[in-house]
Amino acid sequence: MDKAAVTTVQDLVQPTIRATNVNIYYDDTHAIKDVNLDIPPKAVTALIGPSGCGKSTFLRSINRMNDTIPSCRMTGQITLYGDDIYDKKIDVVQLRARVGMVFQKPNPFPKSIYDNVAYGPRIHGLANSDADLDNIVFNSLQKSGLWDEVKDRLDTPGTALSGGQRQRLCIARTIAINPEVILMDEPCSALDPIATAIIEELITELKERFTIVIVTHSMQQAARVSQKTAFFHLGKILEFGDTSEIFTNPKVEKTKDYITGRYG
Amino acid sequence: MNSILLIFVLIVIATTSFIVGRRRALHSVGGIIKDLHSLPNHYGWFSALAGFLPGLIIILIWIMFGGTLVDNITLAALGEEIRNLSDFDRTLYMNDIRNLAVQDAISRPVTETLKSAAQYYSRTQENIFWIFALSAIGISTVSAFFGIKKVSPELRSRNLLERLILYFLVVCSAIAILTTVGIVSSLIVVTLRFLEHVPLTDFLFGLKWSPQTALRPDQVGSSGSFGSIPLFAGTLLITLIALFIALPVGLLSAIYMTEFAKPKARAFFKPLLELLAGIPTVVYGFFAALVVAPAIRSSGEAIGLEIASESALAAGLVMGIMIIPLISSLSDDVISAVPQSLRDASYGLGATKTETILNIIIPSALPGIVSAFLLAASRAIGETMIVVMAAGMAANLTANPLEAVTTVTVQILALLTGDQEFDSAKTLSAFALGLALFAITLFLNFIALKIVRKYQEQYD
Repeated sequence: MDKAAVTTVQDLVQPTIRATNVNIYYDDTHAIKDVNLDIPPKAVTALIGPSGCGKSTFLRSINRMNDTIPSCRMTGQITLYGDDIYDKKIDVVQLRARVGMVFQKPNPFPKSIYDNVAYGPRIHGLANSDADLDNIVFNSLQKSGLWDEVKDRLDTPGTALSGGQRQRLCIARTIAINPEVILMDEPCSALDPIATAIIEELITELKERFTIVIVTHSMQQAARVSQKTAFFHLGKILEFGDTSEIFTNPKVEKTKDYITGRYG
Repeated sequence: MNSILLIFVLIVIATTSFIVGRRRALHSVGGIIKDLHSLPNHYGWFSALAGFLPGLIIILIWIMFGGTLVDNITLAALGEEIRNLSDFDRTLYMNDIRNLAVQDAISRPVTETLKSAAQYYSRTQENIFWIFALSAIGISTVSAFFGIKKVSPELRSRNLLERLILYFLVVCSAIAILTTVGIVSSLIVVTLRFLEHVPLTDFLFGLKWSPQTALRPDQVGSSGSFGSIPLFAGTLLITLIALFIALPVGLLSAIYMTEFAKPKARAFFKPLLELLAGIPTVVYGFFAALVVAPAIRSSGEAIGLEIASESALAAGLVMGIMIIPLISSLSDDVISAVPQSLRDASYGLGATKTETILNIIIPSALPGIVSAFLLAASRAIGETMIVVMAAGMAANLTANPLEAVTTVTVQILALLTGDQEFDSAKTLSAFALGLALFAITLFLNFIALKIVRKYQEQYD
């Protein structure tokens, strides 16, 4: 039943990210089981599913953040534009510059707003001059919709902003290194509805430039912002397809139950 | 019968009262505990304390004021000529009576008057004690009786006990605070006496420390000079050397422990490092005097330097080793307290481990690290043993770490050990040094605490 339910997206020429037979273990816990997934470029792919189903674990495996957890092991293959990201030749530092990440809890550095955004460009040497760096910071804050709110206080601490502003600062910080993919791990779960609406709007704008993968607990959010949706359950993908399709006409009973709120 | 026995009797009263009170509470509701306002044990404790506390208070009064009371009664019974003695002589006389009463050696020939006075003293003491003891037992019994009588299902003994615990905690913290106040004020009083001998400016800004004073007016000798600058300079020099060693080693080992070490390695290294903190300072002193100082000296000779066998460098190095665990375990705590989310954010942006440590973790943990540093500094300033053994006693005013220097604590030790006249400037100067040292470490601790407090507010 599982195999039949997984809709691989054949209509795309080349997916940005392709996961093949991915298995992830924490010590003896088998967190991700045989996941195959193609993530299309310049679109928002939502990963939904009940708590503990492995969606965050899978998301973190795309930029190898799981490497920082000693007990975590992985088999299978994940490719980014055809490059195996778990290949020995791949530099994890460069990979993370190509695949940026926004976390559940807004986590600005205890530095100024400017330094928060400039952090990535500085360590990757993306700016050749101070004016260059100013430019990157300006563009990133502009794209994240934060510029008008913070332009007069770039030297105040990023931690002093409100929750929604902090999260947009974290998004600005991520787009400052100009990644190809942005991973978002429940970016709105710590925010109020208004801040959430602003971020969702931002996500919709950002997909014009970036490939976005978002983990979310909110069905409505997945429906609003994403074009593709993958439904995770107990470490497996039960269903993957166009968001409109999944939400209106789910093929798997479990998906339907989850989406209609019968459990989860 | 003595005070210990008396307390034992009170405990017996309290225990009985506990049992009776508890049983009375249970009886009053026919054994159905939920009909009681509080648990049966609460009633037991209520009754027990009703029996114990009044007696305890009377014993405390006896301990605090009993001696004075007995003295005064004895004095009143003594003749007119004793009462008319000067305060000082009367105190001496009373001392002799007391000592004679316990058959100790006294400062004057034993006369009949003195003997009878001592006997009178012993008798009075015994009588007064009995008055106190009997009234303690009596009041406790009465109070226990009334306490037990008060026990009823409506009595909120649980709440009363809660309040009593609060008072008890307040008393405990008051003891700590009052002790500090007492120590400081006694330091201040003696320091003021010292300042009658030596002007404050000489003490604070004088460049020469040589506390030898003439013992007799006709003695040829120096009148002593009490400039504390060389001592504080020596302290500062040794402290700086110690921190110069301990800060990098301690901080870097903390970084290794928190950021790099695998759990197994951490479990092995951390207790080992903290073992350093358990070594008595006198052992560090041996090590400094017998291993480090000769090693420095011989390596100095190898490159043609003349180095004293006691040097600031030897003491400072070993003191640095001593405070490594302090810095590393405090830094370890603050570095671990940096939220994992900040590390994730930095790694997520493609930073390496070192970049993350340098740009994110150390700046975030900096206030905590600074306060660890200041606490370590006040520890180093107060350290005595290592300096006595490795740096010497010579109060040289020098910035050369290869010379012998001395520190404030070492001089205090030197001034107060051995036979001393209590009212000479030499002895009194120890208290002035102690007060100055206290002021400095208090200041450092104060800053450290301020920084820690500010730091704690930083995340969320």
